[in-house]
Amino acid sequence: MSDSKQKSIDLATQEILKKAQAENIKTAWDRLESQEPQCGFGQLGLCCTVCDMGPCRIDPFGEGASVGVCGANADTIAARNLVRKVAVGASAHSDHGRDVAHTLSLLSEGHTHDYGISDIEKLKDLAQEFGIDINKTKEEITKALSKKLLEEFGRQEGELVFLKRAPKKRQAIWKKLNIAPRGIDREIVELLHTTTMGVDNDYKNLVNTGLRCALSDGWGGSMVATDLQDVILGAPVPIRGKVNLGVLKENYVNIVVHGHEPILSEMAVKASKDPELIKLAKGVGAEGINLAGICCTANEVLMRHGIPVAGNFLQQELAIITGAVEVMIVDVQCIMPALAEVATCFHTKLITTNPKARFPGVNHIEFKPENAYEVAKQIIKSGIENFTKRNKERVNIPKQEMDLVAGFTKEIIFQILGGKYRATYKPLNEAIISGRLRGLAGVVGCNNPKQTHDYFHTTLVKELIKNDVLVLQTGCSAIACAKHGLLIPEAAKEYAGRGLQEICEAVGIPPVLHLGSCVDNSRILTAASYIIKEGGLGEDLSDIPAAGCAPEWMSEKAITIGFYFVASGVYTVFGASPFATLGSKNLTDYLTKDLESIVGGRFEFCAEPMQMAKIMIEHIDKKRQALKLKPVMYQ
Amino acid sequence: MKMKKLYYDVKKCLGCKSCEIACAVAHSKSETLFSAIREEVLSLPRKKVLHHKDKNYPVSCRHCKDPICVDACMAAALVYDKEKGMVFHDESRCVGCWMCVMVCPYGAIRPNVKTKIPLRCDKCQDKDEPSCVKACPTGAILWQEEIELPAAVKGQSPSGTVPCKE
Amino acid sequence: MKQYIIIGNSAAGIAAVEAIRKRDKESKIVVISDEDYPAYCRCLISYYLAQDIKEEKILYRPESFYKENNIELLLNKKVSKVDPRKNRVIFEDKNQLGYDYLLIATGASSKFPQDIPGIKKRGVFGLRTMKDINDIQGLLPITKTACVLGGGLVGLKAAYALRKRGVQVKVVVKSKQVLSQMLDFEAACLLQQRLEENGIEIILGQDVKEIIGEGEIKAVKLDSGKVYGCSLIMVGKGVAPNTDLIKETQIKINEGIIASTLLQTNISNIYTAGDVCESFDLVLGRLCVNALWPVAVEQGRIAGANMAGENINYTGSLGMNSIEFFGLPVISLGIYKIKKEESNLFEELKISDAKAGRYKKLILRDNFLTGVILAGDIKNSGVFLRLIRERINVASFKDRLLQENFGYPDIIDFVKEKESVYV
Repeated sequence: MSDSKQKSIDLATQEILKKAQAENIKTAWDRLESQEPQCGFGQLGLCCTVCDMGPCRIDPFGEGASVGVCGANADTIAARNLVRKVAVGASAHSDHGRDVAHTLSLLSEGHTHDYGISDIEKLKDLAQEFGIDINKTKEEITKALSKKLLEEFGRQEGELVFLKRAPKKRQAIWKKLNIAPRGIDREIVELLHTTTMGVDNDYKNLVNTGLRCALSDGWGGSMVATDLQDVILGAPVPIRGKVNLGVLKENYVNIVVHGHEPILSEMAVKASKDPELIKLAKGVGAEGINLAGICCTANEVLMRHGIPVAGNFLQQELAIITGAVEVMIVDVQCIMPALAEVATCFHTKLITTNPKARFPGVNHIEFKPENAYEVAKQIIKSGIENFTKRNKERVNIPKQEMDLVAGFTKEIIFQILGGKYRATYKPLNEAIISGRLRGLAGVVGCNNPKQTHDYFHTTLVKELIKNDVLVLQTGCSAIACAKHGLLIPEAAKEYAGRGLQEICEAVGIPPVLHLGSCVDNSRILTAASYIIKEGGLGEDLSDIPAAGCAPEWMSEKAITIGFYFVASGVYTVFGASPFATLGSKNLTDYLTKDLESIVGGRFEFCAEPMQMAKIMIEHIDKKRQALKLKPVMYQ
Repeated sequence: MKMKKLYYDVKKCLGCKSCEIACAVAHSKSETLFSAIREEVLSLPRKKVLHHKDKNYPVSCRHCKDPICVDACMAAALVYDKEKGMVFHDESRCVGCWMCVMVCPYGAIRPNVKTKIPLRCDKCQDKDEPSCVKACPTGAILWQEEIELPAAVKGQSPSGTVPCKE
Repeated sequence: MKQYIIIGNSAAGIAAVEAIRKRDKESKIVVISDEDYPAYCRCLISYYLAQDIKEEKILYRPESFYKENNIELLLNKKVSKVDPRKNRVIFEDKNQLGYDYLLIATGASSKFPQDIPGIKKRGVFGLRTMKDINDIQGLLPITKTACVLGGGLVGLKAAYALRKRGVQVKVVVKSKQVLSQMLDFEAACLLQQRLEENGIEIILGQDVKEIIGEGEIKAVKLDSGKVYGCSLIMVGKGVAPNTDLIKETQIKINEGIIASTLLQTNISNIYTAGDVCESFDLVLGRLCVNALWPVAVEQGRIAGANMAGENINYTGSLGMNSIEFFGLPVISLGIYKIKKEESNLFEELKISDAKAGRYKKLILRDNFLTGVILAGDIKNSGVFLRLIRERINVASFKDRLLQENFGYPDIIDFVKEKESVYV
C-alpha cells in the first residue's frame, strides 16, 4: 500500500489506513489498486452487455470493430450505458421516497404507532399543493396526502405535481422538449425499455429520455422523500454537531448507523436514549450508548438530532477498523459489500435491516415501520452485549473530530435571511444582485478512491467561498468539508471572501450550508425556485448565477442528480473521472456542449479542483453578465 | 545475460483486450487513454488478441533470434539488437514498403497504413516493463527471462508448464 | 587464412560478407563492385528520386562497415571474366585477383528493348543504380513530361517518383493491366485506379514503337500511331541477370547461374546468390530466378555461411513482392494467376470490395495454398507465406483464411516449429 497521504487528506483516515495496513486489512484503496489498470473499454463506455449476442466492444482507436453485433455504434452503446445508470440512480432515490410515502400511509391508517406527524405546517403546505382541503382533520389530510403521493409513483399521464414548484419558464421548456415526467415509476421503466436491444438508437433521444427520468427523481422521488421525512420526522433546523472518526467513544457502546433511509435510524436515535438500555450498557461496564452515523443516514440524524457523524463514504470500513464499533446497522445504498469481511476482523456485528439489501452470512434483522422501535431496541441491545467482546488492545480511535452546523433547508434559508416573521429570499437575492455575493454553488456527491479522499471537495469549496460564492452542500461532500472545518460560522472569517464574510457574520451562518442527504438535493431545486419567485435574478433556474458539481462522485445516483440538475438548467461539473462516454465524441459533445442551448444547463468534466472552481466561477460571472448585474463588490 | 521476453499463459487469457488498449495508449503521445483516443494520428496497438479453439492468443512480435523481417527490410530500418534481444525498428529509415509484414511468420507485424509505419512490439523500451504486462487483469502475460518451453503436443498447449515467476 | 572474393556489393554480397565474418574473423574478404557507391538500398532509389527520403538514408550499411569488418572494398571495378581453373577473377583493366572461394552476386541489369528505334538516345533511363538516379536528377529541372515504358514494379515506381517531382507521367503498358507479373486483373484495376487518381496516366495494351527526337527526346510513338510528347523516358521492362563474366566458363547457366541447394554452382568453390542466381522455386517446383531483395539477402547469408564451412540447405525461394502506392498497399505471393487450361486444378477464395479499396485472393491447389494477392488489407501476409512455404494443408481451416480475425493462432497446430511463447 502506497502513501496514505495520497489516499486521503483527512488525518483520521490516514491514521486508520496505517492501522489497516499494519493489521493486513484490505480497504477500498487496496482493492482499487488490485483493479488497476481498469478496463479501457469500460472507462470509455464502449462495452455493451445489453444482449447475448455480445458482449461487444468498439475499438476506440478506430481499427477494429466500429459497431456491435446488432450494429449499435459507439454513440448508441455509450448513450445506452449512461442512461441505464440514470435509471438506476433514479430508482434508488425514488424507491427511498416510496418507502417514506408508504410509512406515511401506514401511520395514517394506524398501522404504526412509532411515528407521527412532526411538522403539521409542512403537512398542510404539501396537502395544498396536492389540492387537498386542509380544513379537514390531521388524520384525514394525512390519509389523503399519502394516497396522492403514492399515486405520483404509479401515475401514467399528465405531469408530476411537484413540477409546478419550478418557474413557469422552466416548466414550458420541459413541456416543449417532452421531458416533463408523467409518473415516477413510468419514467424509469420507459427509460430502461428504450435501452434494450433494438429500441432507441439515437443517442440524443436516449439522453433526452434520461433527462426526463432524472427529473422524475429530482422533482419527484427525491422531493417526496425529503418533504415527507420532514413531515414525519420533523423539518431540520440549524443544529451543532461533531464529525469524524473521533466521535466514536472509547468507553461507550458505539452504534453506527449507515446507509440512506432515516426511518429506522430515527428509532435507533430514540432507543439509544432509552434509560433501560443505557442502564444495561452501564451494566456491561460502558459509560453509555454512543450513536454515530456514516453517509447519508448520518446526515439525516445529524440534521434532525445533532447525532455525530463518524465519516463519509470512504470511511465506512475505517469506522470498523477502529476496533471500537459494537454494531453497524445498515439499510440501503452505498454500503460496501466489503463491510462483511472487514467486520469479521473485529468483534463488530454488521446487521442488515432492509429486505432489499442483504449480505450472505450477515445477521439480518428485518425492520418494518410497524415494529420499528422494537427492532431498534433489539439491535442496540445486541450491541451492548457485544461490548464485552471488544478487544481493547486493538482499539484505536483517532483524535480528530470537528464541529459543524447542519440543518439548513429551503425554509431555514428563508428564516435566517429574512427573519422568522418576514420570511423571504429577498436578502439573498439582493446580496447576489448587489454583488456582495457572487453567486451560489451546489457541491454534492460521494467519495471515490480514484481521487485523494476529501481533497477535491475541500480545495474546491475553499476556493469558491474565497470568491464570495455561497456553497450549498449535501451528502458525503458536506461531511468532507465539515471535517475540515468549513461548516462552522467561524470558517467565514478564515476562508470566505469579504462579501460572503459580511453576510455570514450578519446572520451568523457558515459560508457552507449543509442541506442534508443526497435525496435532499431536491432542497436545492426548491430553494432555487424560490429565488426566481423572489425576483431580480431572471425568470428561469438557468438564469441564476449558480453552478453545480460532484467533485468526487462514484455512484449512479450522482449521474442521475447531474442529469436533473442539467435538465433544470444548471451548469454541472463532474470531477474524479468523466462519465464513461468519452468513447463517443458525439455523445460527449452533446452532453458538454449542445445541451446548453437545449435545456440551459450542460455537463462539464474536470479533474482538478482549482480548475473546477475557476470554470464554475466563470460560469457564475457569465450568468451575472447576462442578468446585467453589477460587478462583484469585492474582487 | 539472459533476455527478458514476453510469454503468454493462454489458459488465463480472457480476451478482454486490455493489453491492446494499454499498448495503444503506451505508444500514444499523451500516454493517457482519454487523450489518446482524441489524438490526430491515432496510436494503434502492436498486439492483437486472436481467438482459436476456446483459447485466446495475444499476438505480437516475438523478436525472433533469426528474424526474417530483418532480412526482408530493403531500407535497413530493422536491426536485430543482440544485447537487448530484440528487433529494433528505426522509424526514420522506414519507407513503408511492408516487406516485413509480407514475411512475418506470425502475422505479428501489422501495417499502419495511415502513418506508413509498421506496428511492432518494442517491449516498451522506455518503460520498466511492457505496458501489456501491467494491463493484464489475469496475469496471463508474463515478462521474464528466457525459458525453454517443453515440446508441446500439437493442438494442445502443455499443462502445468507455467514458467516460474521472477 | 583464406581469400574470399565477393563480386557484388548489394543485398546478397553484404549478407554473405556478414555471414562469413560471423564465422571467420581472420580470412581476407574482397568485395568488388562496378558502381562507385558503398552498399545502398537499391529498392529505395525510387523513393530517393521521389524525395521521400534523404540521401543519407540510402546507405544500406554505415560507412564504417567495411573497415569494421576488415573488408577490402573495390569500387568502380568490373570483373570481366572468372577463371575457375586458376581460381582467379580478371578485371576489365586486365588486373587479376585470386580466390579460395568466390561468390558471384553480380545482380541484374535493366533490360532495354533493342528493337525500339531511339532507345539508346540520351534521356532514356533504367531505374537500377544510383547513377541512373543522378543522371535523371540532372534532367529533372527541364523535364515537364515523361514517359515510362512498362507497367511492372520498376515502371510504376519510376512513374510514382516522377509524379512526386511534379512531372506529368504517362505509363505505356503492353499488357492489359499493370503489374502483370505480380497481380491479377482485378487487383491491378484497383491499383491502376489509385494511380490515376493521383495523376499518373496509364495507357494499356500499347507498346512504344519509336522514340522521336533529334539529339534530345521529343516524343514517343505508340503502336496505335498516337504520339505523346515527352522529354524523358524511363524503361521498366524487366531485368536480366549479369552473367557476362562467366560466359566462357563451364559454370552452368540457364536464365541465371544455376545454384545447388547449398547455393553452390557446379564449381565447388564458386557460389552464387541474389538476382543473378537461379534456384529452386517452392511454388513452381522448378528452378527460377526470383530477383527480390529478401531472397537475395537470404541466399547471400546461406551462401556466405556455406563458403565459411557450414552446410546449410537453402529451401528455395518463391515469387513475392510488396509495394504501396498512394496509400494502397499491395502484396502478392507465389502464383498470382491461373492459366485457363489449369483452372480446374485450382480453387480460388476471394474478397472483393472495390469501394473500400480492398481485395484479397487466395489460390489453392488440393488444399495447399499456392498463391496470394492482397490489396488494401495486407495483414497476415506472412502467415499466408508460411502456409505456402511449409506446405501446410489448409483443409481444416480453409473457411477461416479470409476472415477478419484470422491469424497465426489458426495455424498454430500445423506449423513445424516448436512453440516458444504460448505456455
